[in-house]
Amino acid sequence: MAKPFLIYVKQCPVCGDGLCRVRVCHDLQRGRLTGCILCDECETVWTDPTLKQKFLRGKVEGTPCCPDCGQPLWEPNSHWADIPEVCLLGWYDSVQIVRKENRDQIV
Amino acid sequence: MARRTSNDPQAIANVLRLIPAKWLVGMLVALVLYFFLQPKLNAWFGWNLPSIAAMAGNETPAKPASPKSASTKSASTKSASPKPAQPKAAQPELASTNPAQPKSAQPKTASTKPSAEPTKSPVTAKTQQQDDSKYRILKPLGRDRYESPAGLIYAPGSEEGHRLSHIARHLEDQPDRPGSHGVFDGDMAAFLVAIDDAYKRARGHAKGTKSRLEDGMTVYEAPFDQTIGYLGGTEGARKKNPKLKKLRLVLRDRNLITAFPIQ
Repeated sequence: MAKPFLIYVKQCPVCGDGLCRVRVCHDLQRGRLTGCILCDECETVWTDPTLKQKFLRGKVEGTPCCPDCGQPLWEPNSHWADIPEVCLLGWYDSVQIVRKENRDQIV
Repeated sequence: MARRTSNDPQAIANVLRLIPAKWLVGMLVALVLYFFLQPKLNAWFGWNLPSIAAMAGNETPAKPASPKSASTKSASTKSASPKPAQPKAAQPELASTNPAQPKSAQPKTASTKPSAEPTKSPVTAKTQQQDDSKYRILKPLGRDRYESPAGLIYAPGSEEGHRLSHIARHLEDQPDRPGSHGVFDGDMAAFLVAIDDAYKRARGHAKGTKSRLEDGMTVYEAPFDQTIGYLGGTEGARKKNPKLKKLRLVLRDRNLITAFPIQ
């Protein structure tokens, strides 16, 4: 099911076309969720919405990885954050929220 | 005048009479083995072995496993795979990776939401239509990896499951997407040719091209003589979709991460 909101920090400063979005990773071993910022175009990863610190090393080469557990961020244990998760991370003031138009619902 | 071909049953029967029975059995076993192994070998190694029907001239030659189908497969795997089990003793803690950020101790309730967002059906349908022309350009390397004539690698990855599916997002505008969204004005085959052209020129430091390193990634920009696309997204709509004449590529080594037209 598509999420009704698109949550992002800003347009990506690396590629210029992607959106820096909040990605949440569920670390099963430690039983906790980690937030990071991921560009949906060039896959650059930052540790927080200030976009000052990039995360470059992961457990899998060539794919964006979680800065906490190192697992790939495109795996099923990761997802784009929703509004409650952004609030819990304390990043609500750093993000912009856009309501996505679902054309299928327009009658 | 009817021309006698090698498919003539009479001619085949005459040839068969000359071949020893042992050889015939061996050939039959080999044929049966090939019949069962051909689709699997094509899928595993990305080969293009023709099926028996194709060799007999009844069917078109087999195509290598398409990244589209592979991405669909991975997407279905994602949706079919069980959701991560929540620890029973302790609810997961939500943690930001920012050391300065206090970690919330509140329980997380929304983590069981499905993560995969549906792919855009018009884009995937368009990609599927253009599969044929795409394979005339790309060389399959096996394991769903493809190489362009200029040496760029298109491998599995990205949110869509494959880089080819990812760059296909730039064949259509996303008018609701915040910011800019470069849209290529053409089909997938033309896009792949343009990417290769831009890559070759940017690597050769041709006039007007730019390249910079970004922490393990290389970002190339190459201008084109003619318009190659337009600016989409909300920013593009605000500016009345200006024409674009540059292409930006983001690579990790030779692996293409993304490519899109820019201003």
